[in-house]
Amino acid sequence: MNTSAPSFRFHRTVLAVALCAAFMPAQAESNPVETSVSVGLGLVGGSSDDHALFNQYNGLRKDRNAVGVLGLDYSLRKEDSSSWVQLQGSDLLGDTRELHLVWKNPGSWKFSADYGELVRRDPNTINTGLLDAGSTAPQVRPLTGGPGSGADLDLSTKRTSLGLGFTKFITPALQFELDLKSENKDGSRLFGIGMNCPSVIAPTCGANLGWATLMLPEPINANHSQIEARLSYAAEQFRFNLGYYGSFYRNSNDTLNPSVPAASLSNPLNTGLQGIMNNPLALAPDSQAHQLDLSGSYDFTGTTRATFKLARATATQNADFASAGLSGAPAGVTNLGAQVNTQLAKIGLTSRPIPKLSLLADWRYENKDDQTPIALYNSEGTASYTNHALPSKKTHGKLQASWQFSSDYRGTLGADYEAINHGVFTESSAVSGISALRQKTEETSVRAELRRRLADDLSGAISVSSSRRDGSNWLKDNSGTGVTEVTNPADSAVGFLPTAIFMPSLADRKRDKVKLFADWQPAEALTLQFSAETGKDKFKVPSAYGLQDTRMNQFSVDWGYALSDNWGLNGYLARSLQNLNQARPAGAVMAFDNTNTGASFGVTGKASSKLNVGGSLSYVNDKSVYAQTLDAFAGADSAALLATSGGLPDVVFRQTALKLFGKYDLDKGASVRLDVLHQRSSLDDWAWGYNGVPFTFSDGSTVMQKPAQNVSFIGVTYIYQLQ
Amino acid sequence: MRIKSSLAIVGLCLVGLLGPFGSVWAAGETGAALCVTCHDEEDLPDMSKSAHGFSVDKRVPDCITCHGASPTHAKKPTGVSERPRPDRLFIRKFALPANERSAVCMTCHSKDPKRALWAGSQHDGADVACNTCHKIHTNRDKVLSKATQTDVCYTCHKQQRAQMNRPSHHPVPEGKMTCSDCHNPHGSAGPKLAKRDSINATCYTCHAEKRGPFVHQHEPVTEDCANCHNAHGSTVPAMLTARPPMLCQQCHTPHVAGGVGAVGGQNGVPGAGSFATGKNVVNLWQGRSCLNCHTQVHGSNNPSTLNPTPQLMLR
Repeated sequence: MNTSAPSFRFHRTVLAVALCAAFMPAQAESNPVETSVSVGLGLVGGSSDDHALFNQYNGLRKDRNAVGVLGLDYSLRKEDSSSWVQLQGSDLLGDTRELHLVWKNPGSWKFSADYGELVRRDPNTINTGLLDAGSTAPQVRPLTGGPGSGADLDLSTKRTSLGLGFTKFITPALQFELDLKSENKDGSRLFGIGMNCPSVIAPTCGANLGWATLMLPEPINANHSQIEARLSYAAEQFRFNLGYYGSFYRNSNDTLNPSVPAASLSNPLNTGLQGIMNNPLALAPDSQAHQLDLSGSYDFTGTTRATFKLARATATQNADFASAGLSGAPAGVTNLGAQVNTQLAKIGLTSRPIPKLSLLADWRYENKDDQTPIALYNSEGTASYTNHALPSKKTHGKLQASWQFSSDYRGTLGADYEAINHGVFTESSAVSGISALRQKTEETSVRAELRRRLADDLSGAISVSSSRRDGSNWLKDNSGTGVTEVTNPADSAVGFLPTAIFMPSLADRKRDKVKLFADWQPAEALTLQFSAETGKDKFKVPSAYGLQDTRMNQFSVDWGYALSDNWGLNGYLARSLQNLNQARPAGAVMAFDNTNTGASFGVTGKASSKLNVGGSLSYVNDKSVYAQTLDAFAGADSAALLATSGGLPDVVFRQTALKLFGKYDLDKGASVRLDVLHQRSSLDDWAWGYNGVPFTFSDGSTVMQKPAQNVSFIGVTYIYQLQ
Repeated sequence: MRIKSSLAIVGLCLVGLLGPFGSVWAAGETGAALCVTCHDEEDLPDMSKSAHGFSVDKRVPDCITCHGASPTHAKKPTGVSERPRPDRLFIRKFALPANERSAVCMTCHSKDPKRALWAGSQHDGADVACNTCHKIHTNRDKVLSKATQTDVCYTCHKQQRAQMNRPSHHPVPEGKMTCSDCHNPHGSAGPKLAKRDSINATCYTCHAEKRGPFVHQHEPVTEDCANCHNAHGSTVPAMLTARPPMLCQQCHTPHVAGGVGAVGGQNGVPGAGSFATGKNVVNLWQGRSCLNCHTQVHGSNNPSTLNPTPQLMLR
């Protein structure tokens, strides 16, 4: 079902007229005006598939190799009448236009208007027989000619937004701000459905074997409008502001209703499965949220200050099921009637009781109260159970003290405490797909930092932190409704299976981190910056499965070197490593390693009084390695598969980009700029295919990305300064 | 001459408005105008087009508002070989402590509600002063421009720079978004200086369709988007923190036959069409992985009690 929801629509021409009306009268008095206009042309080389990564956000259409450049920068400052108008525009000839207008009387009022477009193109090339792809009623047409015999499909989404802002300084101490933003999002994104039969949750499958996975783009046609109003007052010692924030999401697409035939799929669908595949898929419902908040600060003395924030937010969702085309709701239930109230209180205190001592205390409490009605939305076979509430109470406290040993030497000690209470599990609901839950977790952290200037040209900091998290007893799924608290999860009589998985966000965790940072200027012309960081998480859980531990390291050096007053060099070298060890029952222990290396070398210079040039060469190499070893429960099939496949291949992304620019001043008011880019990217990722074998959906649709993409761009821009 | 006359005008206009500073200078020279007799355009970059250069704005500071009255610097005492420094300097070698530098700026800027929670914020507590990020003596402060803001943030946030260079990222490298679209570096009530009061509330400002609440919720989603997404970038599509099914199996019990990961095209892995069950190793690791079937990972508002019910995020 596709309805046209009432939403704020606007036209570029109306916007342009409004903008002109805003600043043209002022321009008539033209003093002093500064305006520059950039006009140019950009050409892109390479095939459309070569542009996939390059075009992801630049607004360039896949089938085009040329783009016009138009930019505008206008400023009118009339200090005699306290008027200042600024208008900036960029990418005005493309699909990612941006216009920003500010008109203000500094210290009295300010008006702003923003118009923006943002396109996101899916970097994948899709080949499919799907009809009406991107609509709410796509029709699956299996590719009887085999994978690749369909038509290419490009997916993209476009955001178009208009923002208006007004600020009034009512008195020097009293200020009012109003901001409105409305954004439309249209297009489609990669999405799909799948089902496997037989299934305990799908009796209509019967005992028949059958499955299907289908690529069905999600149709997107929605509006999100936001409003924020704020009144601020600032006295000598006390400042506060009272605000309202409203968010209104309206989706024109309620459901995705595919038409799926039974025949010609890779596995013919039995009647039950075909019915399931043709069921409507719920899309995001309309929703809204409101928040009132009060925040501010109070200076007890010149060295002691308190800050605070109090807020209450309500998020509701009551989209009507039937009008959305969603049937089968529990008797008497027409909409979810969801309401989640969130209360926040935060108070902070900073003090410097003596010049060398700085103290900081902060306490934050957030109570998310889920008042969504409970109803029997779920059934599994003959059993029924309800949805469940997701309340939480989070408390966070922080204490920190810093001592200035000398003007060059400062030490800091801090401690953090965080407690999360997820509330009592809804008894009439059931746990699905997980082994264990936990109601409460508590985490305590301590940290220390030394910051020292070792010499006039060298300063650095080292910080270490360590935290421990534990929590209440684990809750075990009752294999029906509700959960049971388990005091000894290792006791197989009452506890969990040895293959249970305990989620990392609730598990006991030991986390340690060390950070180093140094700034060094060994010579007048040379600056160096070093950064290193290492950290590890160790999860202590009652089983050997799920995520066990993680580790990260990061090192980077940045440098800048002034060759002369006119020429400079800069660059960086960075390397980071991320490691996860996790295991799955009856299978393999996986050591995942991601190594990312990045480097950049740049130069900027003034070749002559009229010519500025610059360039950079950057390189990224990101490699993910999946090393698997069999666990004690691994079956013969796993052993055989690992032996023959050799394990999962590596995923490697490499990108080298050379960017050059030159700007030549033709005269005092005009210049010409040349930009050149050559980017070589390679992505060896098996998600959509490996070794020439594409991942193929049941209707023959395939998704791929060109593994090596080389793209060149040259752009010439004429920049004219209006006198 | 532009900067010189500009600064002189600013100084002259404000000298009578600055209370104690004004009275210091009223008895002798002309306040900040005296500064520009030495510190001319050859000494200071042009800032006449900045907000601080809009001289008729009564809030605009002059030299002594920030640097102090500095009488011994303005008029070198006799018998002193080297001219004493101004009362307050912000440059590296002679800079005031970070909190004192920020205090100078906050004299005026604390009125802005966006800075209400600066005191005790992560940046304040880490000795980051206003001028660590902001440049005052310029017409174009890099950190205020969408195109150049990240250069400033990356000075400290190196890991985020590396993540932004990965293929799945927000359009920050393309200049269409910037750090302050999600973070308030001047202090917030949310974690990680998130612009709103929580990570999720911040994400919902652009991704409101994920807010729900839905009939069938996915708890990690409602709790924290960062449980699964790395907003700074990832090699895994959709900026996921790990590749499914690894990510999903950090919480969920797997239900696919065979425990070893492998992909179609590798030795020993049959073609997808030959699998009798959909829960096969190819469907689990390739395509959208677990999401090939469990497509509604952000929640489903489908109320159907007819089998199969959507509680497993299937539709």
